[in-house]
Amino acid sequence: MADSQEKTARAAAARDKDRRSTGSSAAGRLVSSAGVYGIAAIFLLVGVLLQLTGVIHGFLSVQNMLNIVDAAALVGIVAVGMAFVTYSGNFADMSVPTTMGFTGYVCIELLRYGFIPAVIVALLLGLLIGFMNGYVIGKFKANPIIWTLAVNYVTMGVIRLIWVNKQIYPDMRGSGQTAVALFDGIYRLRFFNLIGLPVVILVILVIAGQFVMTKTSFGAKLKLTGSSLRAAKLSGINVERVIISAFVLTAFTATIGGLAVTSLSRVGAWYNGAGYDFKAVTAIVIGGMTLAGGRGSILGVLGGALIIGLLNNVLTLLGVGTFSQDMIRGAIFIVVVGINAKSLRSLGRDDA
Amino acid sequence: MSEREIGLALEMKRVSKRFPGTIAVDDVSFEVFAGEVHALVGENGAGKSTLMKVLAGSFDDYTGQISVKGSDVKLHSPPEAKKHGIGMIYQELSLARPISITENLLAGRLPKKGIFLDKGRARSQARELLARVGLDLDPDLPIEDISQHEAQLVEIAKVLGNGPGILVMDEPTSALSREEVDRLFEIILSLKNRGIAVVYISHHLPEIFRIADRVTVMRDGKKIATKNVADVSREEIVQMMVGRSVKEFYKRDERKIGEIRFKVSGLSRFGFFHDISFEARRGETLGICGLSGAGRSELAKVLAGLDAADEGAIELDGKPVKSRNMAEALEQGIAYLTEDRKLEGLALRLALNENVLAPIVDRLTSAAVYSKAKGAPLVARLIEELAIYPPDPERTVGNLSGGNQQKVLLAKWLASGPKVLILDEPTRGVDIGAKMTIHASIEKLAREGCTVLLISSDLPELVGLSDRVMIMRKGHFTREMSFEECSEESLLLAANGEAGQGLAEGRA
Repeated sequence: MADSQEKTARAAAARDKDRRSTGSSAAGRLVSSAGVYGIAAIFLLVGVLLQLTGVIHGFLSVQNMLNIVDAAALVGIVAVGMAFVTYSGNFADMSVPTTMGFTGYVCIELLRYGFIPAVIVALLLGLLIGFMNGYVIGKFKANPIIWTLAVNYVTMGVIRLIWVNKQIYPDMRGSGQTAVALFDGIYRLRFFNLIGLPVVILVILVIAGQFVMTKTSFGAKLKLTGSSLRAAKLSGINVERVIISAFVLTAFTATIGGLAVTSLSRVGAWYNGAGYDFKAVTAIVIGGMTLAGGRGSILGVLGGALIIGLLNNVLTLLGVGTFSQDMIRGAIFIVVVGINAKSLRSLGRDDA
Repeated sequence: MSEREIGLALEMKRVSKRFPGTIAVDDVSFEVFAGEVHALVGENGAGKSTLMKVLAGSFDDYTGQISVKGSDVKLHSPPEAKKHGIGMIYQELSLARPISITENLLAGRLPKKGIFLDKGRARSQARELLARVGLDLDPDLPIEDISQHEAQLVEIAKVLGNGPGILVMDEPTSALSREEVDRLFEIILSLKNRGIAVVYISHHLPEIFRIADRVTVMRDGKKIATKNVADVSREEIVQMMVGRSVKEFYKRDERKIGEIRFKVSGLSRFGFFHDISFEARRGETLGICGLSGAGRSELAKVLAGLDAADEGAIELDGKPVKSRNMAEALEQGIAYLTEDRKLEGLALRLALNENVLAPIVDRLTSAAVYSKAKGAPLVARLIEELAIYPPDPERTVGNLSGGNQQKVLLAKWLASGPKVLILDEPTRGVDIGAKMTIHASIEKLAREGCTVLLISSDLPELVGLSDRVMIMRKGHFTREMSFEECSEESLLLAANGEAGQGLAEGRA
C-alpha cells in the first residue's frame, strides 16, 4: 500500500518536473533563436544612433538598407548551405571560396553557348566538387577542414592553369547580348525595383533549408549524425550518404553564391569567393549553430548573415578599412564560440 | 571522537547542484576522515556521480560549503580540485592511448634536463609509480598495447603521482578480474594506512563490505544515511538504496519456443573467432558466455552487419542474410545493442525520443516528411514499459542517469521491432532497479517470439535469462549448456576452460 502511494507521489513529482523542464527548454530555444535577431536589432539601433549623432551619414537611406540586405544575401546564400555541413558535425567547407570562383569562371566561359547551359554546367561542376568532398570525408573519414582546404588550393591551381591567370569578362565571351544581360541580371535583377534576385533566392533557400532540416527524414538523420556519428551508424543510418548530401548541399548554394558574386563583379576571377568561407562560418556560429554539430537552425543562420551585413555596413560607413573589418569579424567569431562553449558547460552539456 | 574530528579530510555541508529542471544533488552533507574508506552507494540517478563531479571541480555553480582538512575551499575548476589534493579515478579511463605509459603518468610534470626531457629519470619515476600499484610493465609501452586492467591500474598510479589527500574512485573494479580486484584492494588498504581518505563508489555491495569503513547511501539526489559498515546488513543497504525491499530477482515464466529462426554456420572472422555454428529458435534466449577477449563482441558485430565475415553463412527464417552494413541487417530484422552506450549507443546531446526513434526514421517518413509525432505513442509506451525516469520524451539523454540511459538504449531496439535482437552487456554498470526492469523487458520480448542473443559477463543474468548458453573461449564455441546445467559456478568454470585462472567475477 505504502509502496503504491509512494509510486503515485513519485509519478506526480515526475510530471511536475516534466512540465518545468519542457517549459524551460522551449523557452530557452526561443530565446536563443530570437537572440540572433535581438542582436541584429541592436546593431540596427547602433547604426541609427550613430546617424542621429551625426557620426555617420546615409545609414537610414533606402539605398543603404538595400545594400545591407544585398550583402547579407550573398553571405546568407553560402551560409545556408554550409550550415548543413556544420550541422552534420563536419565544421565547415573551406573549399567554398574557389568553388565560387571556379563555377563563376566556367559560367562566363560557357555563356557563348547560351545562358541556361552555362548555368547548368556550372551547377553540375559545383555539385561534383561537393560530392567528391562528401565522399572522401564520409567514406574515408578524412578531416573535413584539412581536406576541403586542400581542395580549395587544388581548385585554385586548376583555375590558374586553365585560364593562365587571366581574368575573363562576360561581354567578351558572350554569344549574344541576351546571355550577357541575363548573366548580369543574376545580381542586378530587382523585383518592384527594390528586392534583388539574390534576396529572393536567399528567402527560398532559407525556407527550403529550414524545412529539410526540421521536417524531413534526411534532417533527422543529419541531426543524429552530427550529434554522434557512431551512435547514428549503430542506429542503422547510412552516415556516408548523409555526409555526402551535406557537402553536396553546401556546394550547391556556394555555386549559386559564386554565380551571384561573379555577376556582381562582372569578371571571372579566382578571388571572387575569397573570404566567403569565414563570413559564412561566422554567420552560422552567430546564428546559434554550434561547431560540435546537431544543434542550431537555418533561421538562426539567416539572422547571423543579417548581422554580418549590418556590421560590415556600419563599419564601412564609419570609415573602418577592410583589414580592420576582418579583424573585428575574427574577434566576434572567437567571442561567440567562447560564449557558446561556456554556456553549454554550465548547462552540464559539454559531453561528447 | 575528537581525535577523529582532527582527522577530518573532507567535509561537504549542504551541497546542492541543480541542472535545468532537476536537482541532481539536493542538500547533501557528507564527511570523510583521513585514513578512512568511505563507500558511496545508490541507484543510478541517485546523484553520486554529480556529487563527485562537484568534488572534481566540474561545476562553478554548486551551492553549499566544502572544506578540505578543516579549511573552506572553492572547487570551481579541475585544477583547483587538484590543488587541494583531490584525486579522481573514473570508470572511463582518461589516458591518451597512443602515447607511452611514462608520458601518461607524468603528463605535465615530465622531468627536464635543461630544455630537454630527462628520459632516464622519467622512466625511473614511472617505474616507481607503477610499482606502487603492483605493476611491472615497460614504461615505454603505449597505453594501447597494454590490457584494459593494466590501464586501469596505470590510471590509479597516475592519480597517486599527484600525491592526493583524498582519492575518489568511481566503480574502479568494473573492468577488473577477481585477482586484479584483490590487488586493487591491497593498494587501497596501503593508501588508507598512509592516511589518505578514500571515497569508494560501487554498485557491488560485497566489495563494500570487504573494503569500506563507513557507507553513505543516496537516493533521488538526497543523502539517506551514513552507517558504519560493521553495523549494517547488505539487505538494509539495498533497502535504503531502492526505497523498497527487493523481491525475488528472477522469476521464470513458462516459455514457448518455436521453430528455428536464426541459423549461423561456419562463421569466421580471422583472428577474432572461428567456425561458429549455432541455431536459435523463435522465443528463445541464447546466452553467450565467455571472458573478455573471447570474441563475443566481435561475433555480435559481424551478426549485426557492422563487420564483414571472412567465411560462413547466416540464415534468417530460412533465407540467407546478406548485409554490407547495419542498415541492411536492420531491414532484415536483426538489431544489435552495443556494449558501449556512451560512444556508440546513444547520441547523448539529443532528446530521448530522437534517440529511441533513430532506427525507424524511415518508417515514420512518408513523402519525405518525417513525423516524430507519429512515433510519440510508441515512445510513450516504451517510457512506461521501461519506467524511464523522468518520463519526459524531450529530455536530453545525456542528462539522464546511467541506468535510464541504458533503458533508452534498449527502448531504441524495442522500437524497431526486431526478429533477432543481439544484446551485448545489456545491464553493465546499472543499478538493481534498472536491471530488473531491463530483464523483465527482455523476457517479455522473448515471450512475444523474438530471438534474443544475450552476451553478458554477468553470470546471474545469463543463468536467469537464458534457455541455453553457448560457451565461447578464445574465438571458438567450446560447449553448450542447457538451462538445467547452468549455474554461476558451472559457467565460470567452462568459460575459463576448467583452468580457473583469472576468473571473471559474477556481479549482482
